[in-house]
Amino acid sequence: MMLWRQFASEWRLYSRDRVAMFWTFAFPVLLLLGFGTIFKDDSGPKLAVVRVQSPVPTAIDGALDKALTDLQLKVLTLSKSEAETRWSKGETAAQLEPLGSGGGEGYRLRLNSYLMAQAGATAGLVNQAWLVAQARLNGAPEPNRIPVQVESPGHKRSTNYASFLLPGLLGLNLVSMGLFSVGMVNVSYREKGKFRRLAVTPLPKWIFLLGQVLHRLTVTVIQAAILLLVGRLAFGIQNQGSFLNLLFIMTLGTGCFMAFGFALSGFAETSEGYAAISNLVFFPLMFLSGVYFTLDSAPAWLQHTVAFLPLSPFLRALRAVFNDGAGLTGHGFGLLIVVGWALAAFALAVRRFRWA
Amino acid sequence: MSTPALCIRGLRKAFPKVLAVDGVDLEVARGEVFGLLGPNGAGKTTTLEIIEGLTTADAGEIEILGLTWGRQGQEIRSRIGVQLQSTSLFNKITPREALDLYGSYYPRRRNTQELLELVQLVEKADAYHITLSGGQMQRLALALALVNDPELVFLDEPTTGLDPQARRSLWDVVRRMKGEGRTVVLTTHYMDEAEALCDRLAIMDRGQVIATGTPASLIAELAIPSVVELTFEGTAPDPAPFAGRLGQPVERRADLWEIPTPDPKALLPRLLEAAEGAAIPFQQVHIRRATLEDVFLHRTGRSLRE
Repeated sequence: MMLWRQFASEWRLYSRDRVAMFWTFAFPVLLLLGFGTIFKDDSGPKLAVVRVQSPVPTAIDGALDKALTDLQLKVLTLSKSEAETRWSKGETAAQLEPLGSGGGEGYRLRLNSYLMAQAGATAGLVNQAWLVAQARLNGAPEPNRIPVQVESPGHKRSTNYASFLLPGLLGLNLVSMGLFSVGMVNVSYREKGKFRRLAVTPLPKWIFLLGQVLHRLTVTVIQAAILLLVGRLAFGIQNQGSFLNLLFIMTLGTGCFMAFGFALSGFAETSEGYAAISNLVFFPLMFLSGVYFTLDSAPAWLQHTVAFLPLSPFLRALRAVFNDGAGLTGHGFGLLIVVGWALAAFALAVRRFRWA
Repeated sequence: MSTPALCIRGLRKAFPKVLAVDGVDLEVARGEVFGLLGPNGAGKTTTLEIIEGLTTADAGEIEILGLTWGRQGQEIRSRIGVQLQSTSLFNKITPREALDLYGSYYPRRRNTQELLELVQLVEKADAYHITLSGGQMQRLALALALVNDPELVFLDEPTTGLDPQARRSLWDVVRRMKGEGRTVVLTTHYMDEAEALCDRLAIMDRGQVIATGTPASLIAELAIPSVVELTFEGTAPDPAPFAGRLGQPVERRADLWEIPTPDPKALLPRLLEAAEGAAIPFQQVHIRRATLEDVFLHRTGRSLRE
């Protein structure tokens, strides 16, 4: 009863902050619509090569340019000085430049070491184009190529980028809600002395905390429902798995990352301090979760440590259910890790939480 | 009913840079209005916050309604009412909702409408907290302190920052609390408030209780029931030469001289003669009864407002 009142009052006060509420629900939708539309083309972004113009173009130059285009490369033809400017800004992944005055004296391909994934793929295609162009000039048969197909890994029934994006948005949303909004709100309330008035009442801390958790959980569920509806209407994305499994995973995730927020808020005296602490946790969690790059080449100890962080098993389970219609059986251990973190963080939160 | 409402022995609290409470003993009987009077920084608020369980003491014993914080914390919380020096609520909560919500935390609660009427907030009952005036916020804080029908109420500087009319109406509410049989412990740095409201007082300075008693007995202990004041236009001149001439101590405070005396009738002719002789350019003469302000001044050598 006490818990229900606390929960209802959280909702009532929350619903009065119209601006915050609007953005909580509208922001992920805008992200989905924005990115989903930009990358609607199923082939995804094309590989591009910067082609430095030969001062005196020859037949081989013409043949090479045609072959590059035929191989689906985006060719950006620039003068030597323009190309150098672009290169020095680091925007170019691969730059093809003639040696000497024209194609007759050969070419050089410069690859950007910061963009190796893109540059490496481009290099392969440029070399193939070079073989094709030479064969065409000599009247020889074109070399055979192994056909290439671009696909998203593991998502057999998903068809577009938006369907890849949506579960990621659901997941990151709730991470940022837990780490940033919940923790920050608590620190600022404490800073302004709003908790002191509660501290002199017999309201148990855990009811106050649990009331907040339940409130945020319902916010997350509504947020997810809106995202799923928009995804379905705008991009025809469907949840491939069971909604119950999805709800279960999201509940676990919300609980876990909110507990993180509560726990961290116990360590900060001021909002500024909290911003620093939460970033300290958020960024390693993000970078080490495998969201942005794989850790295949990282040292073994790091890989073992990372395997026990909560974000990647959570996102993996979410994607598996949503995109592949998988059950939870394959993700038992991963979800157990999430539960473990959630319990540890909540225990720490109750221990560290101070009203004043 | 035999146990006192509040009993404190040897309370001590040091903060990194200041010894805030330095061995405070207090005993408050049931049903009385007890005041902690002292200047800002005397340790009143820290003392109160330790009693309320917001701050832990370094040393000392506290018994509240016969209970102690260690094991009976929840019972203490449910039987006391607290008004903090500044009550910060959620911006967009209304007084009615705040009273309902905070009331729901207690096993026993008072009717919200009744409380709104008591503190005259019926018209503002459904306005957001941020839109209330300072006086209205203080009255809401007072109502919140009464929401659980408490036996013992703590009020920390309840009238600071309020206009005279708002202060009077708050005083009325405090008197009503006493009328309902509650024990009230309040802090203030207004001597008139302490005199008007409190049955008994403890005067605090620099973390210590320097005097305890009823307002009347504290003043009587001074043995100087009256003070003669000479007011000047602008800052009063140095009184030392005149004090020598008069043969009696004269104290300067801003634009006036104060001459404490047990017998103003005898002093007055002498005073006027000496003033005329020394060509003192005073404007007016007042005779007033000694107040708690004079008690504080006498005991510490400093004014309450400094």
